[in-house]
Amino acid sequence: MIFEFSIILLILHLQYKFVVDVNTILLTRESDFLPAMLNPQVPPSVPGSSMDVDNEVFQRVVRVTDGTSPESFPIISEADLEISRHRTAVFLSTHMAYELLPESGKVIALDVDLPVKQAFHILHEQGISTAPLWDFSKAKFVGVLSVLDFILIMRELGTHGSNLTEEELETHTISAWKEAKLYLSTQVNGLGSAVPRQLVQAGPDDSLKEVALKILQNGVATVPILHSLSSDASNPRLLHLASLSGILKCICRFFKHSPSSLPILQYPLCAVPVGTWVPKIGEPNRQPLAMLRPSASLGAALNLLLQAQVSSIPIVDDNDSLLDVYSRSDITTLAKDKIYAHVNLEEITIHQALQYRDDPFSTYGYNNQKCHMCLRSDPIHKILERLSQPGVRRLVIVEAGSKRVEGIISVGDIFRFLLGI
Amino acid sequence: MSHQYGEDQDRVNVAGFEIPNSPEASYNNAYPGNEDEGREPPMLPQHLQHTLLNQPTNSNSNIDPCGPHLPLPQNVCLNHLYIENRESPRSVVSLGVTHRFRSKFVTVVLYKPVPRR
Repeated sequence: MIFEFSIILLILHLQYKFVVDVNTILLTRESDFLPAMLNPQVPPSVPGSSMDVDNEVFQRVVRVTDGTSPESFPIISEADLEISRHRTAVFLSTHMAYELLPESGKVIALDVDLPVKQAFHILHEQGISTAPLWDFSKAKFVGVLSVLDFILIMRELGTHGSNLTEEELETHTISAWKEAKLYLSTQVNGLGSAVPRQLVQAGPDDSLKEVALKILQNGVATVPILHSLSSDASNPRLLHLASLSGILKCICRFFKHSPSSLPILQYPLCAVPVGTWVPKIGEPNRQPLAMLRPSASLGAALNLLLQAQVSSIPIVDDNDSLLDVYSRSDITTLAKDKIYAHVNLEEITIHQALQYRDDPFSTYGYNNQKCHMCLRSDPIHKILERLSQPGVRRLVIVEAGSKRVEGIISVGDIFRFLLGI
Repeated sequence: MSHQYGEDQDRVNVAGFEIPNSPEASYNNAYPGNEDEGREPPMLPQHLQHTLLNQPTNSNSNIDPCGPHLPLPQNVCLNHLYIENRESPRSVVSLGVTHRFRSKFVTVVLYKPVPRR
């Protein structure tokens, strides 16, 4: 009986839009939750339909959007959403960036006159994806070097690589690269004069909300926390590199012992309009989710990362089942054995690049990139806890069993949703 | 006793209190050199070896922009500047220091290019 229903549900799931019936959401054990949908005509405000889990199917139907579509409406009740947003905002406003610092932490910085090649190696050796840049002549931090820079450099090498001699590659400094990047961006944007971007930074006494907003509004992944004893901000001390995952960890730690104060935590992922989902039939105005096959070239992957402005791409097989994930930070694995000097982006497939990344015999072998997956039925508190682990910035939402990709949820999505941006 | 004034004042001849003559050794000795420059500097206190900078990077950690979490440092190695001991033909050198900020500790490592001679 139950199996028949499940099959019917699956078929209907693919064809119909869903309407949520908030009043009859039964928050039972995780395993009982079926994103069922029948009867798409059920209006949202039908009260008190008795739901007996064992004998009948949930009348609840879930509509998934990416939150930016004008037709979206929150599936979670307005009241619960408001309470959750408000309490999160209060927490973020009353706690300071100092809380993000570990008891004993380490930060790595680079001199802005280092050759880019050396910087590439250092990021890979140290297992980091971002480092603040120190300028000795100005005695201050002037920017940040991140994996995005390397992707741009790899692309430049790919297109103009043969023009640069080995000597030029050896000595091309980070500061020269940053100037070139500024020049390139003005060419693209058609701006008159190039104003160098100021370093986005924060202090230890800034609130977590300010730090989160800085990260989101400037489109950066990390913000250095700097502290200066003097009022003119001279002699800054580097304390920490703040990221959204760290802030999320603070939130989870705080609300762990009183989960009822954040009602959103108990809802399943599909009940909350957050994340990027594969558009269903009948939703033509949604952005497609960027995915690639393993046979695609590395160049295509890097271009997609840049154009779609995403930080990772799911790699799927012909059935759209998840095989692996290629992230921006994986570019540093190309520093192994200096393969980047000889790499032709169009000739390396993603499959080869992933094998290279996961090579257990490499010098600094860390096989850490398990693809982090979740189900649409997972409760939000579990999603948040997984996203707050260091290095996990997004989870791929898959269908149970077949591992078909249904969507992606990232830390940025969560924060934009909670802060109402 | 009668004191004699004038140039004889320094040569009071009192029986039994005569000024002895200068010793008969030679006065042509060389000036002593600065012995401090010849000596080795004092040994580094051994407790400074326990810097957090030698902790191996956790090879199983994910790429974490926030950096690995280290154990608490010994008080004695705070605010000491360390330099990485790389082999001689090196183009990059790293400097490290552990300092305290309020009640937490931060270890900062800076990579700097070595100018070619």
